[in-house]
Amino acid sequence: MDPVLRIREYQRDRVNFVLENVDLAMANSLRRVMMADLPTVAIDLVVVEANTTVLPDEFIVHRLGMVPLVSTNCDAAIRYTRDCNCEGESCEFCSMILTLHVKCNESITMDVTSNHLELQPHPEKGIEEAGEEPVRRTENFGLPVGKNDPDVDPILICKIRKGQELKVKCQVKKGIAKEHAKWSPCSAVAFEYDPHNKLRHTSYWYETDEKAEWPLGENAREEEPSREDELFDFNAKPNKFYFDVETDGSLGAQEVVMKVCDTFASSENVADERST
Amino acid sequence: MNAPNRYELYVIEEGETPVEVIEDTKIPNAATIKILKQDHTLGNMLRAQLLTMPQVLFAGYKVPHPLHPYFILKIQTDGTITPDLVLSEACNQLIGTLSTLESKFKREFSFKEADGGPGAASAAGGAFATSDDPYGTGAGTGGGAGWGNRDDYLDF
Repeated sequence: MDPVLRIREYQRDRVNFVLENVDLAMANSLRRVMMADLPTVAIDLVVVEANTTVLPDEFIVHRLGMVPLVSTNCDAAIRYTRDCNCEGESCEFCSMILTLHVKCNESITMDVTSNHLELQPHPEKGIEEAGEEPVRRTENFGLPVGKNDPDVDPILICKIRKGQELKVKCQVKKGIAKEHAKWSPCSAVAFEYDPHNKLRHTSYWYETDEKAEWPLGENAREEEPSREDELFDFNAKPNKFYFDVETDGSLGAQEVVMKVCDTFASSENVADERST
Repeated sequence: MNAPNRYELYVIEEGETPVEVIEDTKIPNAATIKILKQDHTLGNMLRAQLLTMPQVLFAGYKVPHPLHPYFILKIQTDGTITPDLVLSEACNQLIGTLSTLESKFKREFSFKEADGGPGAASAAGGAFATSDDPYGTGAGTGGGAGWGNRDDYLDF
């Protein structure tokens, strides 16, 4: 039986789809790959040159790490530092430099936001053979999502008052969410099956009335509720899975979903080739 | 302090073999397969695929310890095929399913794009541009007024 797919809703940063005729294990693996196996870029190393704000260095550095950066076509546009032939030196093929320098000179509370992060030309030219990675980068690759877009509110990093200053130099690296959640392209992946709980994979806690206390979700409209006199089918298997993937903007929802199949198949390939 | 590096979860180090097949000496047509640097994502999927195959009598997997980045897959077949071949067959089937899934995604996305592109209706940037200010002040220099022109107590 071939898998059946229906995309119910598709926006730049989210996609809602229904997947049928696949195994629960397959659907769950799909979800796991979307959350933790897709590479993106994020700020990974920060040199704090000046910080006279009220927040400690670590606090700000953590906030910088969480800023989503545009990671379109990450596979081809940047290398993992561990795979690069600069041997951990962080050259232009495996890293990018963002700087932020804000000082407040007026009697106001100033917001330091992701819009203040500026991309700098990389000082370390790659060693030995050149790579094509930098050429493959899109114009805004590595910049905060929505930078200089008037429709997008920038991300607040901290607030400074008169006389305070924040100056940092950040190294942007490629990674996956198994190392740190900041590299996850997804901010949320909703996953549901069997909205009427016909399979009894869960049992609902309730005070007086189960039906009243557990209202059905949107997905319940897609399936028939069980009849009162219906016997429990203990051989039934889940067959229809409802996904809602929401990204943080570093990758488009379409790119996330499409890359899943690649990433996935490559890990199986490894398993396959070596076993024979 | 002595936590392993996070990248050890998924990077195959030099000298490591990603797949190791240990044939079972006590049970006929059975093998234990150790797959390094993979977790439930692959393990559970392989197990489920193996169980759909008629030649497979038993298939199960476990991740012996959450800090050890490998899983163990046990397979017993009915003797018409060896466990490692049946695993390879299962992998091929999964890759096949995924490539049909990929082409279905491609087709569905192209339909949606023909309908007017991502978020043609409501969401061209709409999702990003929620202007509810979570901090309760206008963007930029909100709150400045409250300070007035009082003297600063900071000595510059």
